[in-house]
Amino acid sequence: MTKGNVKITETPEEIRRLFLGGRGLNGYYLYKMMKPGMDPLSPDNVLIFGTGLLSGTLIPNSSRFSVTARSPETGFFGDANCGGYFSAELRYAGFDRIIVLGKADRPSYLHVHDGEIEIMDAVDYWGMDTTDVQLALRKDLGHVESAVCGVAGENLVRFACVRTGIKNAAGRCGLGAVMGSKNLKAIAARGRGGVEIANPDEMFEVCEELKDYIMGSKITSILGTVGTPLLYEVSNALGAIRTKNSQLNAWSDSLNADEIEKHVDKMISCSSCIVHCRHRNSLGGEGPEYTALGLLGSNLGIEDPAEVIELNNVCNELGLDISSSGTYLAWAYELYERGIIGKDMTGEDLRFGDFDLSRRLLHDISRREGFGDIVAEGSLNFERYGPESKDYLIAVKGLPQSDPHDVRYIKAFALGIATASRGADHLRSRPTLEIFLKLPPEVKQRIYGEGVNNDPASYEAKEKSVYFSDNMFASIDTVGICKFICHGFNSPHFVDYSWLTRLIHAAVGWDYTEADIEAVGKRVIDMERMFNIREGLTMADDTLPKRYFDDPSKLKIAKGHHIDRKEFDGMLSRYYELRNWTEDGMVKPERRAELEGYL
Amino acid sequence: MKYLYAFPEKCTGCRECTLACSLKFFGECNPKKAAISVIRDEFRRYEYPMICYQCEDPVCLKYCHQNAYEIVDGVVIRDDDRCIGCRMCAVLCPYNAISAIDGEIIKCDLCDGDPKCVKYCSTEAIQYLDETDELEARRKQMAERVLGIASD
Repeated sequence: MTKGNVKITETPEEIRRLFLGGRGLNGYYLYKMMKPGMDPLSPDNVLIFGTGLLSGTLIPNSSRFSVTARSPETGFFGDANCGGYFSAELRYAGFDRIIVLGKADRPSYLHVHDGEIEIMDAVDYWGMDTTDVQLALRKDLGHVESAVCGVAGENLVRFACVRTGIKNAAGRCGLGAVMGSKNLKAIAARGRGGVEIANPDEMFEVCEELKDYIMGSKITSILGTVGTPLLYEVSNALGAIRTKNSQLNAWSDSLNADEIEKHVDKMISCSSCIVHCRHRNSLGGEGPEYTALGLLGSNLGIEDPAEVIELNNVCNELGLDISSSGTYLAWAYELYERGIIGKDMTGEDLRFGDFDLSRRLLHDISRREGFGDIVAEGSLNFERYGPESKDYLIAVKGLPQSDPHDVRYIKAFALGIATASRGADHLRSRPTLEIFLKLPPEVKQRIYGEGVNNDPASYEAKEKSVYFSDNMFASIDTVGICKFICHGFNSPHFVDYSWLTRLIHAAVGWDYTEADIEAVGKRVIDMERMFNIREGLTMADDTLPKRYFDDPSKLKIAKGHHIDRKEFDGMLSRYYELRNWTEDGMVKPERRAELEGYL
Repeated sequence: MKYLYAFPEKCTGCRECTLACSLKFFGECNPKKAAISVIRDEFRRYEYPMICYQCEDPVCLKYCHQNAYEIVDGVVIRDDDRCIGCRMCAVLCPYNAISAIDGEIIKCDLCDGDPKCVKYCSTEAIQYLDETDELEARRKQMAERVLGIASD
């Protein structure tokens, strides 16, 4: 962007076969191209938009792309996965991946169309909310699909997201701020091309079979009717819904899925999606997901679903990550209530349950005004808020927990957020089947491994649940298929390694074994770990918020449960062993040499 | 006689119908290169499957100077051998149901009675049904609505 140049190259087939695409190739290129120790908001950061290997095809739910850079929120591996229509359109426009280097000297956007990429002036678009800029781009360029940053990204809010459509977001790790730091408002794509399929008849055969299989599942019809809000009730019944910065662990039934449904006009899809879990809400936006219900609802002490939906819509328009926003606000509210921070800093009283306050602060954060300018620095505020403040932030590696699920009860969830490469996040390795209390032990053990205790509160062999999920989800993230049809994410069925071998063969013609694809997942995770180690990660970073260790849950089934430090350490060591990392969580030199050999 | 019927209120905008169609005809997944298209705009809040209505008095047939179109058992069929690719039909079709892209003219032939698009629709937004008075009335109403939107 600094020089205004565009270079188009092919990724060698050998590298494509090793990392497939999406999160995999993005991680490869980030490790290869990013110099260590560079400021994530400087021109030195490398910002990558990468479609999945199977994106834009007939394969159900193949809508995803990944955005990757060094995270300005954490300083570690920054990566976020996103649905919508952008990924497919980028491929139809002739590109699998866009790597953005340097910094433009003025607000700019990329116009990607039919094999060409142009750097365009975005002065007129700068300052626009995420919907407005997408509408303006369509007015000027036709029906493009765009990935954009909002005002929050322009103003370098460390948890600004990348948006496409009304609410699809590459939400985590502040990648919208990386766009802002490069003066990049948007990438707008449109193409008349298609994705060539190696074996069309085989593609029809496997897709028809897969579609029937997915559509026959109960969870598909539930997700297609009420979407993720169904999880709110599940977590709340356990006493595992993050409430008021995790001071409590259960909240009001007013945010249950049947209440949310009253505000839904229609359920819609991403490209190729047969699940259609997106709510078109009656308040002018899309959502809310379960994440918003928890983090902008219970976590802020808000009960009215209409208010939660409104906060959700505000975050989407401003381009703020919902999980981080809800966590940082709740953190500040508790610190204020405890007197750890005062009015001299905040300028006003902070309190839970105040919808107007939260809405106003979201706007102030995005424009870096007043106390919002401070909150915009995210987890870097430890110093400003004082050393004690750290104990109250629900984050790992500086990244607020994405999932509104309080992990004190389900131990495998705790290990998952402690070890995920981008910080506290459920989409990297949450072993969801742990939550299904009625799932027969043999089913759980068949999937996760022998010896996995069926009791979610047990630590026994739970490293296996996380290890399995980590590898599976990393693999699915490379091909651009949504986790909602991924084996083990919402269901003990769906797309597993065996399905992936068939899908990849049909689409690309490559022969893989199930073990080959699992090996891709492991390679992706090791590469991300190497990136993090290079940026200074140690095993001390694979930990949990203090509260999860030291404050037992107060309510419902989870009452009295917390994470025992010694048990946690044992689980972590066993996880390292499974990963074939060293005792202190480092990638072994021979493995590092092998992976660096591909650079 | 069986025809395609669209139910836009059930359409989620996923475009699986278009991808199946393009894969069948051209071996590629390309929503713009199909005999069915989905007009969608999440900002303006609509999803609308655009299908060929197999008109009784079709403009594609009427204005084709190569006589490449004929109606066979109620289905408007294009003869590839007669077609010279002038794209007149694609330009004139008021329902935008004929695509012209990469030198190809793409016109729905109902897949010889087993339409792929229907098979891949997960919400029954496109159905292949025996015509009834009620369905035909609905189809005509929708066609008029499309014309209304087009003239707007």
